[in-house]
Formats: sequence, structure tokens, C-alpha cells
Amino acid sequence: MWKVIAKREILHNFYSLRFLLSLVIVIGVMAAGSLSFGRREAAALSNYREARALAVKGMQEDAQINTSQLAVARRFFDLRPRDNAFMDDAKEKYLPNAIVYSAWNVFGVRSRNDTLMVKYDELTWAFIAALLVSFVALLFTFDAVSGEKESKTLSLALANPVARAAILGGKYVSAVASVTAIMAVGAVVSLLLLIATGAIGISGGVAVEAAAFVGAAALLAAVMAAFGLLCSVMAKSSNVSLLLALCVWLLFAVVIPNSSGFVAKTVYPIEKAEAVQKRVDKAFDDLNKAAPPGSWMSQSNNPFLPQHELRANLQRKRMAAEKAIRDDYYRAMFRQFERTRSLTAISPAASFGYLAEAVVGGGYARLRKAWDDIHIYQGQLSQWFVALDAKDPKSPHWYNPSEDVSTTREKVSFDIVPQFAERPMTAGDRAKAALPYAALMAIMACLVYGGAYARFTRYDVR
Amino acid sequence: MLLHIARKEFHNNLLSARFLIGFLLCLVLIPFSVLIGIGDYRDQVGQYRIDQAAAEKTMKEVRTWSFLRPILVFPPEPLGIFGKGISGQVGNQVRVRLGEKPVLPEGKAAARDNPFLASFFSVDFVDIAAIVLSLLALLFSYDALSREKEDGTLRQQMANPLPRSTLLAGKLVGILMTLLPILVFCFLLGGLIVLFSGDLAFSAREWGRLALLGAVSLAYLVLFVLIGMFVSARTRSSVSSLVLCLFLWIFLVFVVPNMASYAAESFVPAKSRNNLVGVINDMDKGLRERQMAAEKGLPQADWNMNWWMNGGDDGGEESYGCSASFFEYKRLRAAIWVPMMIDNADQKWASQAAYLDSLGRQARAAVNLAMISPAGIYRAVAGALCGTDWAALVRRLDDVRRYRETFISYLRGKDIWSKFEWFTPTPPSKMITADAIIEKLSGGRFKTRATYDAWADKQADVKSRWDLLRVGKLEGGTPEEFPYLVANDMPGYVEKREGVGVSLEGGAAVRLGLLAVECLFLFALAYVAFIRYDVR
Repeated sequence: MWKVIAKREILHNFYSLRFLLSLVIVIGVMAAGSLSFGRREAAALSNYREARALAVKGMQEDAQINTSQLAVARRFFDLRPRDNAFMDDAKEKYLPNAIVYSAWNVFGVRSRNDTLMVKYDELTWAFIAALLVSFVALLFTFDAVSGEKESKTLSLALANPVARAAILGGKYVSAVASVTAIMAVGAVVSLLLLIATGAIGISGGVAVEAAAFVGAAALLAAVMAAFGLLCSVMAKSSNVSLLLALCVWLLFAVVIPNSSGFVAKTVYPIEKAEAVQKRVDKAFDDLNKAAPPGSWMSQSNNPFLPQHELRANLQRKRMAAEKAIRDDYYRAMFRQFERTRSLTAISPAASFGYLAEAVVGGGYARLRKAWDDIHIYQGQLSQWFVALDAKDPKSPHWYNPSEDVSTTREKVSFDIVPQFAERPMTAGDRAKAALPYAALMAIMACLVYGGAYARFTRYDVR
Repeated sequence: MLLHIARKEFHNNLLSARFLIGFLLCLVLIPFSVLIGIGDYRDQVGQYRIDQAAAEKTMKEVRTWSFLRPILVFPPEPLGIFGKGISGQVGNQVRVRLGEKPVLPEGKAAARDNPFLASFFSVDFVDIAAIVLSLLALLFSYDALSREKEDGTLRQQMANPLPRSTLLAGKLVGILMTLLPILVFCFLLGGLIVLFSGDLAFSAREWGRLALLGAVSLAYLVLFVLIGMFVSARTRSSVSSLVLCLFLWIFLVFVVPNMASYAAESFVPAKSRNNLVGVINDMDKGLRERQMAAEKGLPQADWNMNWWMNGGDDGGEESYGCSASFFEYKRLRAAIWVPMMIDNADQKWASQAAYLDSLGRQARAAVNLAMISPAGIYRAVAGALCGTDWAALVRRLDDVRRYRETFISYLRGKDIWSKFEWFTPTPPSKMITADAIIEKLSGGRFKTRATYDAWADKQADVKSRWDLLRVGKLEGGTPEEFPYLVANDMPGYVEKREGVGVSLEGGAAVRLGLLAVECLFLFALAYVAFIRYDVR
């Protein structure tokens, strides 16, 4: 029975003004986004290549000075712009986009984006879904029950041997299907435009990602439609259920996602950067005081000067002390960020944002992976350097992470220097990151729909 | 008659669920946004105090003029509580350098310690007002005509000798009478929260601008009421009117501003930052080469030895315990190097200005494109009123660069980089020859540098060479023997704060005018649509 109702509802939706308008606005915005994407991706890539060229040039110059200089100099690893950023930019523009490292340490992250524009959401699929899909799903369901009651068709329908579960289920399924269809059509149009303008090539990977993305959007539609039905059965008139639905939308799509900064600050505060700096300074001070006299003397270019060993020891200890403090602080930052996300995931729109980020393999999850990977690379680089240094008879092998004086001064061919290559997030990584949010949304959809059904069984349809 | 209709409309609305829910929505969202704004503002004030104290300490604890560089820390804008604009994305301080003109502020943005949090978005009072006021305006006006038509009451009214313009104006006034209390309530609530927060000192300027923001909000509200009435006069059923209005709302308030920024970023690209870095690096390299070449022509000193020396960026230097001729060498060198450095900064500025201009053009394009939507106009005017838009930042940077020129003129007026004070507090009368230094350091064991060198060359252990130079004490050999520099006559940076109305010159005034023109135009449109409306 519910299939008959769902079919009728889908047809009803299909001919309605809201369906037409949603389709127009979704396709319009997606087309606008897709048409500009090629241009901005090209600009982003050229920017990235310039940054990369600067980094490589620096490395080559240092390799020609000597290997130790190559090892101690600080370098930036810039994250490459993603090809699938048209689905979700994952706010990467506002996240740090470079990691600072040397052969001895991974120092931290840097943000290198200047802009005078107010923060804004890019016209990606994720933006459209979080904003429009959530809105349209509510718009398709807010009057599903209260509206039919007003037009008296609900009492007519229930005069027949139709289970209430079938009516509500039919309406639910049809609303979710209609909204998902809009998103799917938009996605197809967007992909076609992107391929036609040459912004992306045809590949299986993109198709799979796009399908997964539409699936995620369907999940969002399912949660929001369930909320819409709940609003509908909570009120006697469709006017009131509309107001309720709008309040729900404002809460989920506007208020909660935008209060993340506030939540992070008040619920999960972290130490001030100045306090951390003070601890670093104190650690340096203590080490300087404890160091044997002459540790800071560097009046000679002779690598075997005994003071160089003292200083190398001191510099290593200083680095280790600073690294311990700063790594700790970075862990606190990661924790603050992740916990804030977990808390704001209570909003389906926010949850969807995190889910979409996992689907496209970008944003924070990607940065975090690169951060972990670059630590491994740094270990390899330092091993490589130590092995090279061991072969040099003219080096005293006193490893100093800040100076090139007491380790090998030989030049090195740039070609044999190990380079860091970012490993993109695999399907497994993405699934692992996506699962909690997908599960949360599915549970939420079931619970809210269950609530709506419970309420509907006691709804006075007259 | 008009008042009659308005009163009826007002009473109708007052009892409706939307009025209650609208009120409740404001009651929840406005304090939420203002309290977040106040929290952020307090954090920024805390950061300002920390940074200001650090800057004062840095500026006070210098012993040579070459280390004296003003650090300007900017206090947060109090009106940022209501409209944060771009204040959360730019740093809060500038260090005035001789070798570089300031391009963008440095330091922490929005007192944020965790850079990952920059990817979290937030809404402020202005955003909430733009969202809620427009929504309420549409909700009250979407069925102004279509509902009465459906109920059949419109037909009855029109049967009387009532001009359509009066009916339309009456309805407009009635709806505004309903919405005005909500608007006033929002601003009163925001103002009261600020008033009772204790530590926030709003001056007349801030209150005046807040009142202006209220007036602009009213125009914004009227505009959306008119949009709703126009839609209502063009649709047959109130349901389709509602659907149209809601889509218009989400399009104008949420989609257009993002679309405008997206288009601006795509089609008005900023100049490449990496390219700029490359150009600046090359010019700095060129400067160093020229400096080295110029140094070659200087007469050599008898001993190029600093007993104590500290070098900083931007040409900062302090030296102690040099020989008189090495001090003289350094003095001659600084007299050539510093003007070269300042000159290089002027040459670098062309590329930097082009970069900054391209950022400004992009921001302007985003604001102008967003003017398709009343929400874009509203936010732009609010940003100008709150002094947190990009134009305010550009003005401030201009001021800072002017201050840099003043500071340089001040130094130049003292001809300070041709003097010893530039890099050492040692008075010329206390400067001695290299031989005299050796004699003092070695406690009289060596009378000249030549005898010391001859002895030192024979020593295998490098350390022992230096140990012998620690026997005696060199007067003026360490910084601690000298007081900090006193530069009381240094010109200070005075933050220019505009009055209530100044920022409305130029762009903002045009935008306000546009808002008014749009209102009139929409009223005319609604009127024409209503004249042709089939009331049956």
C-alpha cells in the first residue's frame, strides 16, 4: 500500500511549484559553481606550483651549499589543491595549507592565504546540499500531515483501509526520493558541465565519489525530512508546522554549524599560545644554564672544534624539549578541533559537512593524515642524512639541528634527496572517517521518524 | 482609512502564531549572537593587552637606535561585537620596519590560538538580523493579498469606495507596525546586553552608529516586506506565494552573497603571493649585493672584533667592545647601508602595492556583486558602520604607512644612522684602540694585538687562546653597563577614529541610496501588480 501512496506523492511532488523551484535553484547554483571551477582550480594549481617551485629551488640551493644545510633548513610542504574540490572544498582555504619541517623536526603548520574578503562558503555540492537539500527536504514534508488535514484529504484517505504507517511511510519515502533526485540531477548536470569545460576528466574515481556524495545527500534529506514530518504532526495547522520547520532549519543549518568556534572556546578551551611560548623559553633557559661552559662558543669554522660538540648536544636537547612542548600543544589543538566537531555533529547539516569531507578525502582529515605522514618522512630524511654523514671522514658526526658546522659539508646531488609525496586518502581511510557521521545521521533519521510516527498514530485527522 | 486598514492588519498579526514565534526566535538568536560577539571581543581585548605589553617591553628594552622599531598593536573595534566583518581574519599588529613597508597586519587573528579553528564559521548580530528580519518580513507579507483573496474578504473590501493604493499602503503600514516592535526589540536587547556587560565602554560614536544600523535595518525590513507583497500580488494562491517567497529568501540571503564572493574570487583573481615573495626575495638579495659592494670601499679597521654583538632583522645591531676604528667602520657602513635599505623598501612597494590593490579589488568586486541582493547591501553598509570591512583595514594600513614615513623623518632629522648611537651606546670618548683592548683583556700580559696574535698562533687549543682574554675586564664590553635608550620625542601613532557618519561617505552612502531606491521601485512594482490583480 505504501508504494501506491509513495508513487502518488512523488508524482504530486513532481508537478509542484516547490519541486520546480528547487530544481531550478539547485541546477542554477551548481552550474554557476561548475562553470567557475575550472578557472579557480587552474589559478589554485598555478599558485601551488609556484609555491612548490620556490620550495624545490630552496632545497636545490641548499644541496649545493652542503648536505647539512639541506638538513637543517626549514621547509614548507604545501598541500596540492584537490581535483574534486567542486564537490566539497572542505573549508581548506581557511585551514592551514602547509606543514613546516626539516630533517630533524616537524615544526608545525602554516596558513598562507591573504584575503580581504569576508569568509564565505564556496559554491560546491556540499554547500548546496547542506543549505538547499536540508531546506527543500523540510519544505516537502512540513505540510505532509497538517496540510492534508486542512484540505480534508487526510480524513478521506484514512476512511479507507490504509494503515497510518503506510501513509506516513509513503510520504517520507517520496519526499526523500524527490529531494535526492533533485540533487542527483544537479550532480549530473554539474559533472557534464565540468567535463564539457575540460575542468575534469572522465574517470571512474569521480563517478564513485559523486555517487557516494549523492548517497550522503540522501542521508541528509532523510534526517531533515523526518524532522519535517515531526513538525507536521506536532501542529494542527500547516502555518504553524511551517514556522516550526523554519526554526528547525535555522537551528540545524545556521545556528549550530556557526557556533563551532564558540563551542571550541567555551567547552574545550586550550592553553594560550603565549603560555606555551613561556614554557618553551623556560625550558631553553634551564638547558642553557645546565649546559657546560663554552657551549655557545662558535668562533671557528673548524668542524672538529670541541665546542661544536657541546653546542650540538645543547641544540639537540633544546629541540627535543621544544618539540615535546609543541607536539603536546598540537595534540591539544587536534583534540579541541575533533571534540568540537563531535559535539556539533548533533546538527544533521554539520554532520553532513563532515561526512562529505570524508567522502571527498579532503579538509581536516587530509591535513591530519599528511601531518602524520610527514612525521614518518622526516624520520626517513634524518636517517638518510645520518647515513650520508657517516660516510664522510671529514665530518665529526656531531648532529646539530640548527647549524651546518659539525656534520658533513659535502654537496649532494638533489636527485638523490628523498622527497615527500602526499598519499591521498584511500577508500578505506575515507570510509573509516565517514562511518561515525553516517551512522549518527541514520540513527537520527530513524529516531525522529519513529517519533513522528508515534505522534501520528495519535493525530486527530479531522 | 489607511490607518483603519493598518490597525486591522496589525491586530490580525499580533494574535498570530508567527508573531509569537518570530518574537521567540529573536529572543533566542539575538542574545546568542551578541553574547558570542562580546565573548570574542573580550578575548581580543585580552590579546591586545598581552601584545601591547609585549610590544612596550620590546620597544623600551633597546640600547641602540637601530633596534628601535615601533610595534603598533591595534585595539579591537567595539562594534565588531555586532558586525565582525573581516576582523576575525586579519592580524592585530604591525611592526614598523625601515626595510619594508607594511602590507598586511601580522599577529594573531581574532585572538585565535588554534589555527584549525579558522575553518569554523560563525554568525554575528548583523548576520542574524539579515536572516531573521528578512524571514519575518516575508512571513508577514507573503499572504497579505493572496490570503484575503482566498478568504473572499478582499472582494468585499474592494466593493467599497476604497482606492487600491490606500489598501496597499495600509497593509504595508500595518505589517510594519507589527515588525517594528520586533526590530526595536532586537536592537534594544543587543544594546542592553552591551550596557549590562560592565566592561564594555561604548562611546557616543558606537551608540550613534548602532542607531544608524537600526535605521538601515528598518530599510532592509521594508524592502523585504515589499518583496513579499509584490510576490503576493503576483500569485493566485497563498501556498505558491509562500513557496516563492521562501525560495527567494534562501536565494537572496544565503546563495547570492556566497555566489558573489565565489565569482569575485574566480574572475577577479588576486595577484600571486608566491610571485610577490619571489620578487621581494630577489630585490632583497640585490640590496645585500649592493651593500656588500659599497662596504668594500670603506677604510679597514685595525681589528674586526666585537667583544659583544647582537644583530637583529631590519638592520638592527648593537656592538660593544670594538676598537675605535672598527666602531668608525661600522658608523660609516650604517650611514651608507640604512638609506639603501629605505630606498629598497620604496622600490619593493610597487609590487607590494599591486598585490594589495588586487586583494582590494577582489574584495570590492565581492561586495559590489552581492548588491544584487538586499542582504548584500545590508551587510556591506553594516560592515562600513561597524568599521570592520576591508575598506577600514585598507585605510588603517594607509595610516600606518604614513606613520612609518613620519618615523623615518624623525630618525633622519636626528641624522641618527650617521652616528655611533645607531649601533652602540659607547660614547666616542671611551672608544680605544685594538692594542689597548688587548692590553685590558689580557690583564696587561700583551701590550699590542700583534704580540697577542703571534702568541695565539702558536697555541693548538683554540679555547685557551680565548681564556687568556678573559683575565681582565673591558669597560663598556657588555650591554648591561649601559642604560636603555631614551627616545621620548619619538612621534607616536595615533589611531584615527572616525565619527558617527564619516564612513558613510563614498561607497556606503551609494549603497544606502540604492536600498532606498529599491524600496521605492518595489513599492511601485507591487502597486502596479496589485492594480492588475484579480481580486475575485
